[in-house]
Amino acid sequence: MAEQVKSDMDEVRNLSLDKSILLIDDLHTHFFTSDGVIKAVDGVTLSLKKGFVLGIVGESGCGKTVLALSVMRLIPDPPGRIVKGRIIFDGADLLALDEDEMRRIRGGQISMIFQDPMSSLNPVFTIGAQVSEVILLHDRDVSGPRPALAKAVDVLKIVGIPSPEKRIKDYPHQLSGGMRQRVMIAMALACRPKLMIADEPTTALDVTTQAQILTLMNDLKDKIGTSIILVTHDLGIVAETCQEVAVMYTGKIVEFSNVDKIFNNPLHPYTNGLMKALPVIDNRSESSRLYTIPGTVPPFTDLPSGCTFHDRCEESMDICAHEFPPVCYPEPDHMVRCWRFKT
Amino acid sequence: MRPLLEVRGLKKYYPIKTGLFGKSVGQVKAVDNVDLDIYPNETLGLVGESGCGKSTLARLILRLERPNAGTTIFGGIDARNATGESIRNLRSGMQVIFQDPFGSLNPRKKVLSLVEEPMLIHRIGTKSEIRERALRLMELVGMHKDVLGRYPHEFSGGQRQRICIARSLALNPKLVICDEPVSALDVSIQAQVINLLIDLQDELGLSYLFISHDLSVVGYISDRVAVMYLGSIVESAPTSSIYNHPMHPYTQALLASVPVPKPGLKKVKPKLRGDISNMLYTLDGCVFSPRCSLAKDICYNTKPDLIEKEEGHLVACHMC
Repeated sequence: MAEQVKSDMDEVRNLSLDKSILLIDDLHTHFFTSDGVIKAVDGVTLSLKKGFVLGIVGESGCGKTVLALSVMRLIPDPPGRIVKGRIIFDGADLLALDEDEMRRIRGGQISMIFQDPMSSLNPVFTIGAQVSEVILLHDRDVSGPRPALAKAVDVLKIVGIPSPEKRIKDYPHQLSGGMRQRVMIAMALACRPKLMIADEPTTALDVTTQAQILTLMNDLKDKIGTSIILVTHDLGIVAETCQEVAVMYTGKIVEFSNVDKIFNNPLHPYTNGLMKALPVIDNRSESSRLYTIPGTVPPFTDLPSGCTFHDRCEESMDICAHEFPPVCYPEPDHMVRCWRFKT
Repeated sequence: MRPLLEVRGLKKYYPIKTGLFGKSVGQVKAVDNVDLDIYPNETLGLVGESGCGKSTLARLILRLERPNAGTTIFGGIDARNATGESIRNLRSGMQVIFQDPFGSLNPRKKVLSLVEEPMLIHRIGTKSEIRERALRLMELVGMHKDVLGRYPHEFSGGQRQRICIARSLALNPKLVICDEPVSALDVSIQAQVINLLIDLQDELGLSYLFISHDLSVVGYISDRVAVMYLGSIVESAPTSSIYNHPMHPYTQALLASVPVPKPGLKKVKPKLRGDISNMLYTLDGCVFSPRCSLAKDICYNTKPDLIEKEEGHLVACHMC
């Protein structure tokens, strides 16, 4: 069994190594707490092709943010630690780098956008100072604060901030939520990173602002050629912006394919349940009740045996309670971890 | 049919104070001349972006705030004249469920006493009757009676929201105001709570004022929908009418902004200028005019009234 899994993993690796900007290989990030070891990322293998948007979806507490932070190597240690695996970014293993080398990559080649723009901007510095700081640190072509500030103005213009030459003197509290998130995106894009990780970038924003920010991210991806990992719980956003989707449950990727297959032909019972549980506008007359997945997401300290979804699954079999399903490929580009697809 | 709740010309202005002596330099029109009706056994959805006054309107209806002008008439009682005993009746007839099930349950009380508390305050029945009713309520919302001795922190978000729902039903209300009740919950748990709310409505004949920023949830649960922008209702209509045929440019933009879980679907992106305006600047004309692509001179100068353009479909827009 283990050998089968291993050869499947090798296949993923070979398929994607040439075109991919990022390859996560059997990554394990654990937290060592007084309640026991929390395996927030438990054997994740993923790849992201150049210029693609990969969506990582899952409910709160499934480990998607920890996965994103692991790629940035921002896991607080203690209690957390990446215990196993490789993260190959642009040909180099990030986990083998020392802290100085990692710092040069972070913000320069890989950047991150967080959910809450208010708490990720420093309230005592102007936005001009904060955007130009990134440029000063990572852009070798820019020397001195004045050219950096000039470049900051350019970047702020790109992300659609009106009259940026005046706005650079503003402090974060003087901007609206949408504007703050634009500043965060400007900081993330200032050095034309190869990879951008956006962790719930629009969750704190209103729908009309959200639509503007997502359109902006898509335009910039085409302009700059940045690859994006989008971490979100909103399946609507995934359908509109991502090409590939990974569904995460209790620290593991349970399904991975392109966006059409995930939405039109979801194989894993969990993905299927999530799709059916979405309320669709004005369909109450047709079906009076929403589909619900029974039970709740189990806490990491108390995971069920075998497949961690088996006690909520309507299609579970005997084997599901005993062993976590291996990686299965019902179709060449559709990965699912479910015993029903084991041939 | 007579409405269960009639809201007429409701206004709430908050003064903006500055300086050492708190001189008033202007006012925020949080709720500006709002009219609403909610009929028995009906769900009215109220949508709008953050800061548009949805929650203030809910607080005014519940009489947790006093309005500057206008009134609410609930079950024939005018809230303006209600004092003492009659305000107590008013409040037991209207209950509320808040967004955050973590912040709205006292962490030092056990579940049983949390559910019993409203009944003790309103002195309905003897101690044993109250206990019996609390047990029945917990069963109604799908909680096992073994958990009654536990504290709120021992429950997940969805279960806590169930406790809040049980508590809100303790006094047999006719109207339950749900202020973003599922926004803090995950998709699969959200579906459970929505189903529960629909079941309870069918069983108990409740009316809901369902406040949310999530248009899919509102569209699913509501019979009628009202759209709010900067303190004013800009459009209200039956659900299918407003979703299939939105008239106000803001409603159109709002609906076009909702991400749809269907890949490859080509959508017309909304043409919207800027962000939601600051409430501090008062406008003479239409509240939406600074962002509207259709705005003409009249929109900047005169505030449009909410007019019935089709049967049951009300719009406040000069251009419709």
